[in-house]
Amino acid sequence: MRKTAISLGLALALGVLQSYCVAQTQAQNSENTTQSPTISAVAGNPPSTASDKPAENQGRKWRVKLGPVLMGASYSRFGGPVYYPYGLSPFDGYYRAWLWDPYWAYPLSYPAGYFGRNDGRGEVKITLEPRTVDPKLAEIYVDNAFAGTADHLKNMWLEPGAYDLSILSRDGASYRRRIYVLSGRSLKIAAKLNPPNPGEMKEPKP
Amino acid sequence: MTKSKWLAAGLACFAVFAFATPKGTVARSTALKYPAHAEQDGVAMGAVLLSSQAARNNFVSDLNHCCLVVEVALYPQKGQNLDISLNDFSLRTIGTDSAVKAASATLISGTLQKKASSSRDVVVSPSAGVGYESGVVYDPITGQPRRGGGVYTQTGVGVGIGAPGGQGGGTDADRKVMEAELDEKGLPEGAVEAPVAGYLYFPLAKKTKNAHYELEYMLNGNKVVLRLTE
Repeated sequence: MRKTAISLGLALALGVLQSYCVAQTQAQNSENTTQSPTISAVAGNPPSTASDKPAENQGRKWRVKLGPVLMGASYSRFGGPVYYPYGLSPFDGYYRAWLWDPYWAYPLSYPAGYFGRNDGRGEVKITLEPRTVDPKLAEIYVDNAFAGTADHLKNMWLEPGAYDLSILSRDGASYRRRIYVLSGRSLKIAAKLNPPNPGEMKEPKP
Repeated sequence: MTKSKWLAAGLACFAVFAFATPKGTVARSTALKYPAHAEQDGVAMGAVLLSSQAARNNFVSDLNHCCLVVEVALYPQKGQNLDISLNDFSLRTIGTDSAVKAASATLISGTLQKKASSSRDVVVSPSAGVGYESGVVYDPITGQPRRGGGVYTQTGVGVGIGAPGGQGGGTDADRKVMEAELDEKGLPEGAVEAPVAGYLYFPLAKKTKNAHYELEYMLNGNKVVLRLTE
């Protein structure tokens, strides 16, 4: 029972540590982040094709980046019989190598960014200003099509293209901007919603 | 042509103009609001050289890698047309004889795509692990079982090489987006009656430290020179 508790504790600590490390790495390089797509391609923009492959060029430039820092911890127990002094060598458990490999925890939770750049999409991160605006009541429109509410769309992954982004709040406040999304890039938008003028009619939804 | 066809054609033209993406930026109230300004033949002109930070904030495209960006506003005389062409603008580094013409969005986006696709990422991922293993072992001499355990550690480094253009901006789709952005934010060309403003892109490979630049504009055969400041 105690061992099970220790194992669980270690696994939990590993998970927290792993998430922290990945978050740190992502903060260092926001371009490197990828995540499952929330929104797929929007009409009007060309989908990725085979011709989107980068052109071959001579004289490539190399940039060294720090990737995810992985740390792990584990506990294992074997029942033997194993004859001393070979039993407790860290190298004895060849068949248990998965247990002390820090990668063993990955199937539990794939961190954001693990799968690379999400097949050519770009990220759009939206934060609402002022913070008093309730994200649940702010509707996001991409090219005049409803995409979702701001509480669910803090991160969007879009195909490379130019889009008209609109955010409308229930109280009539609105924000409009033309955005340009490049593959593998992260676009941060601090959407400052303009309150409606007194006496002015509420802006119609797209 | 029947009446209905004329009507349809008129509606189509209206739709094209009404829903076309506006080009350029919003001109400031007067040319005097720009750090560099001048007036000639009734046409006022203002300009400002974008700093690297401003270029980063105003554009998704990474213009700092290829060119200098100048925001230009032109204020035509009331009731008179002004024909704007990119060919009339050039940028000169003060103290040198060479000058560069403003480049089109197509050219700049192509340059940016080429630069982006020629770079690769090398990702280094360190890893570390620690564990404890315990169990019952039998002493080969006495044959007695005894409990034992040991701490083991593991470290490693993974090195990965990304695909060309991994930092983004290297695909054809990206080039189209960059071209659209640069075109939509660029100074509109053609005949105008009202004040217009937009960006000009000058393909200067590297911004020389402490260098000063002059923007030259050919207006009705005369040269207007603005000394640019950020």
